[in-house]
Amino acid sequence: MSNIIGIINYGIAGNIYSVKKAIEKAGGETLIVNAAADFKSVDKLVIPGVGSFKESMKELENDGFINPLKFFDKPILGICLGMQLLAKIGFEFGKTLGLDLLDAEVKPILCDGKIPHMGFQKIQIVNSNELLKGLENEEFYFMHSFEMINYTDIAALTDYGNHSFVSSVKKNNIYGVQFHPEKSRQAGIKLLKNFIELKNH
Amino acid sequence: MNTRIIAKLDVKPPYVVKPVHFEGLRKMGLPSDLAKKYYEQGADELFYIDIVSSLYQREILSEGIKKTANELFIPFAVGGGVRSIEDFSKLLHMGADKVVINTFAVQNDSNIINQAAEVFGSQAVVINIDAKKWQKNWECYTDCGRIQSGRDVLEWAQEAEQRGAGEILLQSVDCDGRKRGFDIDLAARVVDSVGIPVVVSSGCGSSKDISELIEEANPSGVAIASLLHYDQTTIQDIKNYLRSNGVIK
Repeated sequence: MSNIIGIINYGIAGNIYSVKKAIEKAGGETLIVNAAADFKSVDKLVIPGVGSFKESMKELENDGFINPLKFFDKPILGICLGMQLLAKIGFEFGKTLGLDLLDAEVKPILCDGKIPHMGFQKIQIVNSNELLKGLENEEFYFMHSFEMINYTDIAALTDYGNHSFVSSVKKNNIYGVQFHPEKSRQAGIKLLKNFIELKNH
Repeated sequence: MNTRIIAKLDVKPPYVVKPVHFEGLRKMGLPSDLAKKYYEQGADELFYIDIVSSLYQREILSEGIKKTANELFIPFAVGGGVRSIEDFSKLLHMGADKVVINTFAVQNDSNIINQAAEVFGSQAVVINIDAKKWQKNWECYTDCGRIQSGRDVLEWAQEAEQRGAGEILLQSVDCDGRKRGFDIDLAARVVDSVGIPVVVSSGCGSSKDISELIEEANPSGVAIASLLHYDQTTIQDIKNYLRSNGVIK
């Protein structure tokens, strides 16, 4: 059975190559997805993310990704902004509708610490799942100024500046991580390996 | 959150060099080799600064950057001679996660910070400030610590934040390469002046210097060059020292 990990290519920031490199390091086979027509050739999808919510939704729309993403029925992993885009609505540079795959909103982080939140931190798994298996004590690299507000699909939380935010979500086949597994040393590679090994159901 | 321990490579292509007071260069090795070594030692991040591109007004060279990015699974910041949004885009496509800018933003057009933040997000925009003490204040220098700008460091740090910068790389022209300790006063003042993360560099001579810096100025990151290049210590040893002092967890 094939197990090709598609990586959605959108926008002008180039971090898809870090993601590709890390998935390959984890033993996965990748395909850079430039159009929704390629969805039929992949078994899983990664939505990477660097840039702003508004710009990225615009790019996804221009490239015709939005509806096909809503109906994609295999595992999806959203990374950082890619996780945030799964929400109903985002509030970065105005109000922008998201992919609406999760009942969530994306808002600026309000806390005691420096923003952007940047650095390695552990996650507290509150609802364990196959993606986060074996990663309870590992540190991951965060680099973000916005956070996802969600009450129904939380998989992990992280504390920063006297504030707890959602660092991972899961709903059915949809997974999201606020941190960057592709920038989180061996722990990140392990998480990507878990994603590669997910059963498609 | 733990202060990030960052390895900094000052590059005069194709070699990592070690400037002393931003002058007098010594070859330290190839950036890709050193990057791999520091990644394996447990560096939290890597900074790659092409220290001559701004001075020579030439484009930053891509070969060493791509090769360096290739073996890393930690964040990678690249800078040197960045002059346009296209430069940002090029560096991000070469494998950088963040782009470091100094001279152009200080001397030519500070608006590049706003534009870059809007397009790439604040987290991708790092402002390098080269500070030199002048009476009771500090002045920003450009072109690798050679040219006076007439700008006050604290004011410029705040302006850069307002314009959308996501991080400051703070270097001291006075302390750089001397290995006699950081300018802690400068670091503390900049950290207290802004709401964005500050990475402090220049002057590290020992793990003890780093420990004092973190305790007194609490920066988000510390960037180290000479101490690592001369194999005087490893990132592993630095972290162990900081942990045993309770400065990091």
